[in-house]
Amino acid sequence: MINIEIDGKLVETERGSTVMDAARKAGVHIPHFCYHKKLSIAANCRMCLVEVEKAPKPLPACATPAAEGMKVKTHSEMAVKAQKGVMEFLLINHPLDCPICDQGGECMLQDVAMGYGGAASRYTEEKREVRPKDIGALISTQEMTRCIQCTRCVRFGQEVADLMELGMAFRTEHAEIMSFVNSTVDSELSGNMIDLCPVGALTSKPFRYTARNWELSRRRSVSPHDGLGSNLAVHIKNNKVLRVTPVENEDINECWISDKDRFSYEGLNSAERLTKPMLKQDGKWQEVEWQAALEYVANGLRQVAKGAGADQVAALATPHSTMEELYLLQKLMRGIGSDNVDFRLRQSDFSADGKLAGAPWLGMSVAELNSRDRFLIVGSFLRKDHPLLAQRIRQAVKKGAQANIVHSSDDNLLMKVANKAIVAPSDMVGLLAQILKALAAEMQASAQGVENIVVGSEAAAIAKSLASGERAAVLLGNFAQQHPQAAQIAVLAEKIAALCGVKFGYLGEAANSVGGYLAGAVPGAKGMNATQMLASPRKAYVLLNVEPELDCADPQQAMAAMQAADLVVAMSAFKHHAADYADVLLPIAPFTETSGTFVNTEGRAQSFKGAVKPLGEARPAWKVLRVLGNLLDVAGFDYDTSEAVRDEAVDTANILSSLDNHLDVALQGVAGAGAQGLQRVADVPIYAADALVRRATALQQTRDAATPCVAMRGDELQKLGVKSGDMVKVSQGNASVRLTACADDGLPAGVARVAAGHAATAELGAMFGTITVERA
Amino acid sequence: MQMIKNFFKTFMLLELLKGMSVTGRYMFTRHITVEYPEERTPQSFRFRGLHAQRRYANGEERCIGCKLCEAVCPALAIKIEIAEREDGTRRTTQYDIDLTKCIFCGFCEESCPVDAIVETRVFEYHGENRGDLYYTKSMLLAHGDKHEEQIAKDRAADAKYR
Repeated sequence: MINIEIDGKLVETERGSTVMDAARKAGVHIPHFCYHKKLSIAANCRMCLVEVEKAPKPLPACATPAAEGMKVKTHSEMAVKAQKGVMEFLLINHPLDCPICDQGGECMLQDVAMGYGGAASRYTEEKREVRPKDIGALISTQEMTRCIQCTRCVRFGQEVADLMELGMAFRTEHAEIMSFVNSTVDSELSGNMIDLCPVGALTSKPFRYTARNWELSRRRSVSPHDGLGSNLAVHIKNNKVLRVTPVENEDINECWISDKDRFSYEGLNSAERLTKPMLKQDGKWQEVEWQAALEYVANGLRQVAKGAGADQVAALATPHSTMEELYLLQKLMRGIGSDNVDFRLRQSDFSADGKLAGAPWLGMSVAELNSRDRFLIVGSFLRKDHPLLAQRIRQAVKKGAQANIVHSSDDNLLMKVANKAIVAPSDMVGLLAQILKALAAEMQASAQGVENIVVGSEAAAIAKSLASGERAAVLLGNFAQQHPQAAQIAVLAEKIAALCGVKFGYLGEAANSVGGYLAGAVPGAKGMNATQMLASPRKAYVLLNVEPELDCADPQQAMAAMQAADLVVAMSAFKHHAADYADVLLPIAPFTETSGTFVNTEGRAQSFKGAVKPLGEARPAWKVLRVLGNLLDVAGFDYDTSEAVRDEAVDTANILSSLDNHLDVALQGVAGAGAQGLQRVADVPIYAADALVRRATALQQTRDAATPCVAMRGDELQKLGVKSGDMVKVSQGNASVRLTACADDGLPAGVARVAAGHAATAELGAMFGTITVERA
Repeated sequence: MQMIKNFFKTFMLLELLKGMSVTGRYMFTRHITVEYPEERTPQSFRFRGLHAQRRYANGEERCIGCKLCEAVCPALAIKIEIAEREDGTRRTTQYDIDLTKCIFCGFCEESCPVDAIVETRVFEYHGENRGDLYYTKSMLLAHGDKHEEQIAKDRAADAKYR
């Protein structure tokens, strides 16, 4: 630690820190543009010039290392003169028409110009103009002339997103920020550049010109999408959500949010929103009052329960529902005598049910990811499923951690991957067994159940990497959790982690993947899980924000069950295909219109309040379920607030004690199932993962939302006589769809990658299993 | 004594004469009564009357929808909705002034960066029904079109003081 004096204040700061760091510590504001605490130092805007005693010239605070006994004056005559001079230069080429600019009112340049700018410009020569370029549906460069070349966006791409989407071309006055020729800027983190831009050069395209920022009220909320639970500020005007920005939380999302969190709000204002309860009478949909709809539901459920037995009633919920909703749903089902309730819609292996020691979670805090030195990531489309967790892992890799990947698709993870084993889904368990055996050999320990395994070179390399680390993490992604042998994968992962002396964890698929377990929204001993209740169709289904054809592991099976059911109650925020098979549509409120709690993947319960009033006659689902409970005479349904529900459901202060990844499942069948035929590898595209993003118009125009193609190895396509770009017929179960073929040599042999969760592939069957691809 | 004095004052009509002399004096001085509506008082070029929205010479409306007038209006009389037009510029889709709320402080024209909203010299306007004084964008633009010549002259006269 060294002592430095800033404006007469003595500050103690770390050796190696800069004057800017010390000033921030001392609470002294130094104007700046290019400096950002999460980005590297560029020192190119020169706004932070300060006077340092004994230095002949003013020095940039952001790039000057603090030294013992240094005396810094940030507001001396010399410093202010330098800052005013820089400001005048910055404003030479910057248009002076703030009222036109969308950034006006929240612009760093505007704010600093109020303090350091002149009253009038002395510059009369011609100003620089930059032509706007179309860089996709998310970010507008309409006002690129306003750029002050701070290069924050470029550094963000290089250092945080690790995908350089924007760069600075040309020199001096001609320097301009642009993307590579004809490429769009819409990777999963691009939207953060909008926040980073200190001027109005990069602005949000969907928000553009819809409101001025001083009209907006900011309400705190929590992301309902991935398992991270990013903290959000929801900006509203006239009871409408107009944009979403991050709220800084160093433990969770730092100061970033993914594009999914940022732009999914467009789905809230979608024309597909359901605003009135609807009842199907004589085959026709009719809008009815809540009372009539709820009584119909209560009578219907009561009749089915009485006539065919309570176990003929089943409830499915998305893991994007709040904990209160999930808790009340399971309480309602159990109240009427049914144990069939599940929220793990895309999971296909439930053999670990009843053998779990606690709710599966990340196994560590999110922030701990940064300090791991070895990673074994099994079955994860990491970048697209967990954009910000991937970012943390990338930061760790940059600091020297080794990433080892076991997966069925060789996606570009934008980080240095030390070892990877890309195998077909059926070989995944076998490969983990190899790693376990190799690791046992490395650690000179014994591993039971894998004695007969032959270790391949990939597995050996991964084991070597894991053995050489001190703080490893074994992480199971969505693909591993959805895998038909998920329990075996988890057992092997646990054994591998135990050998390294570390914990293993699950990268939570959705906002409430952990909360669902805590709320008890999983079947008990005599109940049916998500697969069972669709495989043997029930008479009545209650769907909580579920679109079975897109959200379930096997859409074909799910749709067959829905069609066969006597009563389908669809509680949904949106009108969707439920109109074909449902009997009642109950409009419920999405996350901005209800209060609730999400428990993120690290077991942190984050409660939020509604930001706006529910649209039309939509109501928060917990209220709907509460009234249904009353109508069905279930005891203990007298809640006044969602907080009361939460407090009954879970002790939020003591969640960690109920989290445990240990599972008591015996290791078996590691020799490999010997699958025949072409195997399907199904990812859930980032912008198809839940009902809300599927309706976010701007996100649906990005590259990631393109209609999925059938990806196979080039040589295998050739064998079929198909070229990349041709239409092929893809059949699974009793249905087939026509899709374009594309070559992807990163895939293992005998595998076709066909995305799930998309309307184009919704008719196909299970996410895993055999699939046929033939020339169309 | 006082009684006698008062008697003579009354008897000789002194008060009456005094009054008549005031009347007589004013009969011959310059008249200041303005016979409205045939006659009018002179107006300043800064007169703050009925609002108008202006256009550029090519017919393009000036307003860029920056909402500064809405933000500054102390009476909350202005209501604006904005949207992006096909050509990529921000324009108002709604621009209403509730003249029953307006206090004619002139802050709106003061804040306008493009001289789009102005207060004209027109002060004789009325409404017969509730809502007649709720001026919409088309009414304001029409009013601006009608008086553009005068408005431009007034802005020019004021320019040197700004």
